[in-house]
Amino acid sequence: MTNQEHERAIDIITRQGVDDIAAHDTAWLESHLAQCSECAEYAALVASTGQLLRAVAVTASPALVSTTQARVRARAAQLREHQARVVLIAVSFCIGVLSSTVSAWLWWRVGGWVAEHVGLPPSYVAPGILLFWLLPAIVIAVLMLAFPHHGLEQSLMLSLAREREGENR
Amino acid sequence: MVATAFSSLVPMETEEAQIARGLRRRDPDLLDVLIEQYQHRLLRYLLHLTGNRATAEDLFQETWLRVLEKGHLYDGRNRFVTWLMSIAHNVAIDHLRKRNPSSLDKMKDPEDGVPFEPEASGPSPLDLAVARQQHEMFDAALSQVPPLFREVLVLRFQEQMKLEEIAKLIRIPVATVKTRIYRGVMALRPALKGNAQ
Repeated sequence: MTNQEHERAIDIITRQGVDDIAAHDTAWLESHLAQCSECAEYAALVASTGQLLRAVAVTASPALVSTTQARVRARAAQLREHQARVVLIAVSFCIGVLSSTVSAWLWWRVGGWVAEHVGLPPSYVAPGILLFWLLPAIVIAVLMLAFPHHGLEQSLMLSLAREREGENR
Repeated sequence: MVATAFSSLVPMETEEAQIARGLRRRDPDLLDVLIEQYQHRLLRYLLHLTGNRATAEDLFQETWLRVLEKGHLYDGRNRFVTWLMSIAHNVAIDHLRKRNPSSLDKMKDPEDGVPFEPEASGPSPLDLAVARQQHEMFDAALSQVPPLFREVLVLRFQEQMKLEEIAKLIRIPVATVKTRIYRGVMALRPALKGNAQ
């Protein structure tokens, strides 16, 4: 008997019960098992394994099922809320980009118009608008440097310390 | 008449397609039904995989949470149970990696005792006792089988899955599935000897 025949027999035995086995394969297996004690033993072991594994009864408790259902429901609600928030953020972002673009264009036109009426060269328009936009941030930064806020500094230091602690862990 | 002709042209939506649609919507009612429907099969698979009831119950809940989160990835082309078991397989692997990267067998709690109750069979008390003893021996032998082989044995013989389904689920070639089944059965040979004769 060749190795190929044993392999074919093992393949059919392994597939029996779940796969559709052709009639000629079943007939061939039967004749092979009649001659090969090794494969016949494997067939018997496979049958016993299946029989014993199917006889093992495992049941989930009703408490486990209801807890799982409750957790899944809670998580589903959480995910829905998160999704709604993401949509809201995306919409806000789009509106922000759109309004920034429109206002930038308007300011550009206004800057050009002012420069034309005041008699400034057009090369002053771009830096002028940039300065106009950055002015509030510059003013706030100067004020913060001039009058340091201890509470703010403390909270910054605390958050930095926490971050470092997390890294060390 | 037209309606009948139309309905015969439009294919009926399969159960898998309905599940896929519900999972994409994260329908909690559908998930309730699925949890009820697959509770025993999923727990049994996880229990065999981990050998520990408490761990299996934790992973059971984790699996359903992941089904909810990854539900949009199920396309409805394969059986839902195969996809569910593959999620459970991944959850168990992740758990194993967190706990002990060396071996799945380490997950078995030695103080856990006999992991599952064998179903009593046989009409007489003697038959019952013999069957119980056989099951206990089998359970003990099964728990000694490496988890790689134990998993395919459970999927093949308990879940009645085709070799191709198991291969897809565990992401290994069909030939490897066959080898693992063979080696798993052979590992059980000492415990099965009495039963096979």
